[in-house]
Amino acid sequence: MLDQAIQALRSYDWGKDYESIKPIEDAVVATHGDVESVKSLEEKLAAVLSSDASRAAKDYVCRQLRIIGTAASVPAIASLLTDPELSHMARYALEGNPAPEAGATLRDALSTVDGELKIGIISSIGDRQDNASVEALGSLVGKSDVAIARAAATALGDIRTVEASQTLANCNSSDASVNAAVADAALSCAESLLASGNKAAALSVYKKYSTAEQKHVQIAAKRGMLAALAK
Amino acid sequence: MTPKRNSNASRRDFLKSGAVAGAAVVAPYVITSNALGQNGVPPASDRIVMGGIGIGNMGRGDQSNFLGRADVQYVAVSDVRTNAREDARKKVNDKYGNSDCQSYNDFRELLARTDIDAVHVATPDHWHAIMVIEACRNGKDVYCQKPETRTLREGPLMIAAARRYSRVVSGGSQRVLEDYREVVNKCWSGELGPIKSINVNVGPLSKYCDLPAEPLPGDIDWEMWLGPAPWAPYNKARCDGNFGTSGVSWRSYSDYSGGGMTDWGAHHFGGATFAVDVRDLQPQEIVLHNEGGKQYVEMKYPNGISLTHNKPGAGNLAVQGTPGETRDAKPVPTYKGTGGIYGDFIDCVKTRQRPFRDIEYAVNSVIVSHLATTAYTLQRSLKWDVEKQEFIGDEQANRLRDTARREPWQI
Repeated sequence: MLDQAIQALRSYDWGKDYESIKPIEDAVVATHGDVESVKSLEEKLAAVLSSDASRAAKDYVCRQLRIIGTAASVPAIASLLTDPELSHMARYALEGNPAPEAGATLRDALSTVDGELKIGIISSIGDRQDNASVEALGSLVGKSDVAIARAAATALGDIRTVEASQTLANCNSSDASVNAAVADAALSCAESLLASGNKAAALSVYKKYSTAEQKHVQIAAKRGMLAALAK
Repeated sequence: MTPKRNSNASRRDFLKSGAVAGAAVVAPYVITSNALGQNGVPPASDRIVMGGIGIGNMGRGDQSNFLGRADVQYVAVSDVRTNAREDARKKVNDKYGNSDCQSYNDFRELLARTDIDAVHVATPDHWHAIMVIEACRNGKDVYCQKPETRTLREGPLMIAAARRYSRVVSGGSQRVLEDYREVVNKCWSGELGPIKSINVNVGPLSKYCDLPAEPLPGDIDWEMWLGPAPWAPYNKARCDGNFGTSGVSWRSYSDYSGGGMTDWGAHHFGGATFAVDVRDLQPQEIVLHNEGGKQYVEMKYPNGISLTHNKPGAGNLAVQGTPGETRDAKPVPTYKGTGGIYGDFIDCVKTRQRPFRDIEYAVNSVIVSHLATTAYTLQRSLKWDVEKQEFIGDEQANRLRDTARREPWQI
């Protein structure tokens, strides 16, 4: 039944016979705790990604690989990262994949895509809290493309490490919206630093923003200072 | 994600500055008694300046409630459907007898306005987290329709944004307080003794949407309707805002909604967690039972209370206490201000208190739906680490904590 479903998937499209591919979802659930089953199913699904299957079919595959993907399917998924139609689904599959290869692939993609696709890659790196990308993200905050700069700042705020915080401390833009994203990310890092007991580093961030022009940022920083001093 | 700054002067600051009296800038020919705050209406400078995002269906009702308040000045609407957007704008302008209300296809332009104090959000669920977080980052208070979250990952980020900027963020289920009073009163009065369990009957789960492409009508910005959701072709049933969950609305489909499980689930689980007073807790165990061929989920809280979903033979919000025992009564929390859940929100915007459906309580209600959905989807019991917000020892379950987000959207 599974092989029939995989075969049906190769010609699937929105509005076609969804019931014929549904057994794949049952098979995904059934792989739990069974490495060999994962390997076999992952291989079959990844093969669809390199076929001439429809956008809908490849979208569907990425959803399944999100749940069971390992290092084995990373190369097949990676080939979609530069595809404007499927990059977001490829990222979805990679974001959840704990294999180091998935993180490395997203880092590599930072230099191979641009525009909105790059924003997507940045977002996924932030989602994975990939500390190895901090330096690269920091350099993007200073770039002239403000949408990319804002996304990079936000991703650093997702990573929330000492390194991310230090990188943000050195970020300054001529664009107000980038600086707002940097402030939000820095405050996010400070919350994490404070929670982990790094009071001095958190206070440094809060002091910087305690005189911010925007009132709500100023309030956030002053509240943070009080919280840090109370610890 | 922050859009370019709007260069419009801040209306509220303008009104507060006294510039009107000084006539240093273009001033209205006639300052109405409404603007000056007579006849029981607060002066314009003391009103909460509001805008609405997602203004059809539920948003229309929310707009009416806020627009009907004398202490609210409603100034902007945003919707990706032209007709809904312009109807909503006309409604505001008709109410005030002017043409001041601005309309936006892109909500980021509305959020960038520095004169707006608060917004209400009633878009499809896949937008909620992005909009609430972005509103907080722009210093706005937010009233967000239920279900407030689409995924497990979103809730903590929404709470963090609200707390970071000291924003008032209210969830949007009025039924939590208003529909289950009898159950709530019995529990809080202590007459049932220590509570052991409560059951909720609700469903169904949302599903994958396989609808075919249809011709795109002219009055919808399809890319913005989809927003962060995976790209898919337009189909009326994919994006219709009706309340059906059987394939005829976005509420049926998992890219946009959790289905009845989160839609009515936000009400029922919200009422149940309120009744048994676990609003500030999350379950630690999600047990998938099979009883006579029927599956149901039991969620166990750290204080020993169980919340079951669709337990065979149990009624909706059926409570099991401890027969023969009582416990001390506690005062039942209620809304602040006047005007139901809307008045509660506005009162809290003014006083900076937390609203009845504070975002943390709302998230803790909807999380129950998400946890149960994950157990049903994976067909197994799960353990939830509340501190880390992750499933214990189940990698696949952890991968289901979030959804795909199409670029350029991020949270």
